[in-house]
Amino acid sequence: MNNLKRRKAANFIAMTLASLCAAVGLALLFIILYDVLVEGLGSLKPRLFTQDPAPPNIAGAGGLRSAFLGQGLLTLAASIIGVPLGILGGTFLAEYGRHLRICRFISTLSDMAVSIPSIVIGTFAYAILVKPMGGFNGWAGAVALAIIILPIIVRTTEEMMSMVPWALREAAFALGAPYHKVITGIVWRASMSGIFTGVLLAIARVAGETAPLLFTSFNSNFFQLNMSRAVPSLTVSIYQYAASPYESWVGLAWAAAFVVTILVLILNIIGRIIVKMRKRD
Amino acid sequence: MEDLLSVNKLDFFYGQNHALKDVTLPIKKNKITSLIGPSGCGKTTLLRCFNRMHDLYPNNRYQGEIMMEGENILGDRVDVIKLRNSMGMVFQKPTPFPMSVFDNVAYGLRLKSIRNMSVLKEKVEKALRQAAVWEEVKDRLNQNAQGLSGGQQQRLVIARTLAVEPQVILFDESTSALDPISSKKIEELMVELKEDVTIIAVTHNMQQAARISDYTALMYIGSLVEYDDTATIFTNPKHKMTEEYVTGRFG
Repeated sequence: MNNLKRRKAANFIAMTLASLCAAVGLALLFIILYDVLVEGLGSLKPRLFTQDPAPPNIAGAGGLRSAFLGQGLLTLAASIIGVPLGILGGTFLAEYGRHLRICRFISTLSDMAVSIPSIVIGTFAYAILVKPMGGFNGWAGAVALAIIILPIIVRTTEEMMSMVPWALREAAFALGAPYHKVITGIVWRASMSGIFTGVLLAIARVAGETAPLLFTSFNSNFFQLNMSRAVPSLTVSIYQYAASPYESWVGLAWAAAFVVTILVLILNIIGRIIVKMRKRD
Repeated sequence: MEDLLSVNKLDFFYGQNHALKDVTLPIKKNKITSLIGPSGCGKTTLLRCFNRMHDLYPNNRYQGEIMMEGENILGDRVDVIKLRNSMGMVFQKPTPFPMSVFDNVAYGLRLKSIRNMSVLKEKVEKALRQAAVWEEVKDRLNQNAQGLSGGQQQRLVIARTLAVEPQVILFDESTSALDPISSKKIEELMVELKEDVTIIAVTHNMQQAARISDYTALMYIGSLVEYDDTATIFTNPKHKMTEEYVTGRFG
């Protein structure tokens, strides 16, 4: 009886502690969201999307149109570089290289690479693509973002493909299919929604990154989408505007932060919905 | 009775593991040959030699030969893809591909570069009819095959195998994951298919071997204990071990 009471008490303590920790985490998240929502909505004006940056002393003018486009361009370029590389790399790990010891090593390295601070990746891109080229440029930013998404996509692709039962591959082999057709026609198809979700979540991860861009594509106040020069960036603009003494710039920063948060949230929610739908199948 | 395949002194190794030892037996054309024996006796290993499934994994080694039409199918020069085209395989669990019913059956045909839609339609229907599943799926050819019942999936897989017109179909415990009614359908189907193909079936189910097969081989720890026509194996076996196994006293 005594024993039972003790177990119940231990259970109560554990449950209370766990719930408290969850509550702290959730509360912080909601405080941030609340702040961004209230401040952001308050300063959200159409000109945020229609006008380019203006000096702070002109009342009622200035937006971040070029920064939205620039950020989109950087993310797109990063995806074009990182997504195919990541999917093909993950495919190698899960299929052709599955018996090689080096592939287990690469998987472990990729897991570690996922948690490298993004500023470190930014400085790396600075060293290889900014310094030799003589200045900030969009390609360096895109490569930095691509390096961040690469290990995420490699690992999700590998995991999703490994979850496809071997019997399915054998069934295709038994019909006389060569390996590359088994991969493209059967394994990719079976793991498609999982890989797609991984790609989406990886893109969501970098769409709101600032640190890797600070040293690479930096920012531009002009409407310019030439990737060999500094490219306007939304997140870097938020960083600069938020730290500025001008009320109109701070307001724009809040509004932009609100929009970025919503976009990343939407990408994440789409990803989760696909995961849920997969589980139900 | 004509032998389609003859297994001669076949040894097989998984790395250091000597999994098949000096196996010799004929496979008669247009007959059903059952491979029976306790778990781990090597019957599935033997079955997977016929379509060189072992080639997919490293460190596997064949020794000896399986002759088919004057050629050793275990030879280095054999085109494994061509071989697998003539040796269909049906697995224990149904393996529908994540695509429509139609595309599943057309998969092997498309591998052979058959693209003409009317030819594909004709062959897909023929295969589904042959596999006795046409009536159940004809209105859902465009639906995902993974939504079919287990028994339907297994017959779909048989149709997919039949579509490429193989000479042999290898059944690897293909009814053990199905309910009794579905297994009965598959059994009846196997007997019907004898007219067109030669069947080699691995089974744990002794009654099934007795019911459907013409010849039966009993294996034990990698060796062939006895091979004969099914009636002899089940009523008048030469080896004591065979008698004990088929009467359920061991295994």
